[in-house]
Amino acid sequence: MTIPAVEINKLGKSFGSGYKKNQALRDLSLAIAQGEVFGFLGPNGAGKSTTIKLLLHFLKPDTGTLHILGRIVGQEEFRHRIGYLSELPVFYDHLTAKETLLLSGRLSGMTRQAIDRRIPMLLERMNLGEATNRRVGEFSKGMKQRLGMANALIHDPEVLIFDEPMSGLDPMGRHQIKGLIAELKQEGKTIFFSSHILSDIEALCDRIGVIHKGVLLYSGRLEDFLGTGGSLEERFVTVIKEADHASVA
Amino acid sequence: MQALRNIWFLALATCTEGIRHRALWAIVCLAALLTMANLGVTTLYSWDLGKVSVEFGLSAVAFTGLLLVFFLGMKILADDLERSRIFMLLSRPVSIWHYLTGKFLGLAMILLLTTIILGLSAALSMHYVLWQYPAYVPPNFSWHTYVMALACQWLSLVVVLALSVLCFSFASQLFVALLLAVFSYLVGQNMELLRRVVVENAHAGVLTGQENLVVALSWIFPNLSLFDKKYAAAYGMAFSGQEFALLCLYGISYSALLIYLATLLFKRKELA
Repeated sequence: MTIPAVEINKLGKSFGSGYKKNQALRDLSLAIAQGEVFGFLGPNGAGKSTTIKLLLHFLKPDTGTLHILGRIVGQEEFRHRIGYLSELPVFYDHLTAKETLLLSGRLSGMTRQAIDRRIPMLLERMNLGEATNRRVGEFSKGMKQRLGMANALIHDPEVLIFDEPMSGLDPMGRHQIKGLIAELKQEGKTIFFSSHILSDIEALCDRIGVIHKGVLLYSGRLEDFLGTGGSLEERFVTVIKEADHASVA
Repeated sequence: MQALRNIWFLALATCTEGIRHRALWAIVCLAALLTMANLGVTTLYSWDLGKVSVEFGLSAVAFTGLLLVFFLGMKILADDLERSRIFMLLSRPVSIWHYLTGKFLGLAMILLLTTIILGLSAALSMHYVLWQYPAYVPPNFSWHTYVMALACQWLSLVVVLALSVLCFSFASQLFVALLLAVFSYLVGQNMELLRRVVVENAHAGVLTGQENLVVALSWIFPNLSLFDKKYAAAYGMAFSGQEFALLCLYGISYSALLIYLATLLFKRKELA
């Protein structure tokens, strides 16, 4: 049996203390198999970004454990095997696209020759070929998002973690990023991405997880979540409302 | 080995980013003009023109370096956190100490470059003043001592930079970190004087009898006055290579200790 690409066990995280304490995640457990595209779905403030930050060890969990490709997050090095794209990728404004990718490749332990081969190929793939030597500060939001995607892929990682990869993009930009995720799926990459744009999830994912107020309400196949009929949007709204009623009661 | 490579790549990226920053060149141009103002300022004095010229030139370098540390250096550090740029770096196999050391070295390289530019600009204006008024050339004046004084100036800025990185590692906001760094700089500049006043003077006001406390504080805060060799350069007082080597050792080891402490504190920070 292959080890899961991502495994989260009884994860808990809170911010603040005393009466200001906010429980961001409670007892969250899920597993993502290798080669799977997993959509992490939830309203704003549900805990999606917190989960991703815990996966990348930017935050430390209060309880529970996280594993990526069998490595314990926070104890064993795994970051050369993952690629990360944040919701709003921010780069050094005065470095060029090529220099940005060179820095990321070098920090991931790649050789100069390997990086030099990969940069033109990735920038072409992201339609940024003409912007190779332009400073990132001059890039539009869509260009930065595509550069962020190239940045996540520079070292050809096995697992990709995308936090709201299509947030704030125009329809053309969204279409392009969706196409790229579909291509990566074809290549057999494991993709964990969070979104609250339901159509993107529906189009790309094998399995989904639904999170609300830090609690995982569902984790499984998209078809099973949809049940006998109705759209993902209708089903999602119903599940969230049921959870709200249950918490009030 | 990968650790050293990571630190070097981060330092290089930080240096490139800083060098291309408009703010850097605005400050450097202003400072170059200031050193050139040397030509006008020294003529306002009717004696010791040479000494005034050397002190003015080195003071301009010191002032500009502080502006760069407090405004450009700390801004580059704070932007990484506030704009979440740090996530791009820490999602790679980069540890906190690689990150902080790389940033620190990159900023130290910027300071070195600007010290060289401003040192040259100050030297040009000084050279003109000393050539124009040969009677006022300080006895025993040597360009060698001037270069060593300039190097000490840079070392002092490196220590202030390390202090700023330490303040940045635990302060929640840039403004707080900036205030703490400026405060530590002021204490560091005056610590030696305070120590001498209290230890050598039986009537040191409220600090009488607090010699041990003041000595302990003088060990905690950096002794920045040690690096101030403006007076030596202006009066042609040579200082030995041994003293220079000890100053280098002190500056480098103190900075390394501060960066180590900054790493420990930064690791406790949650990057939300």
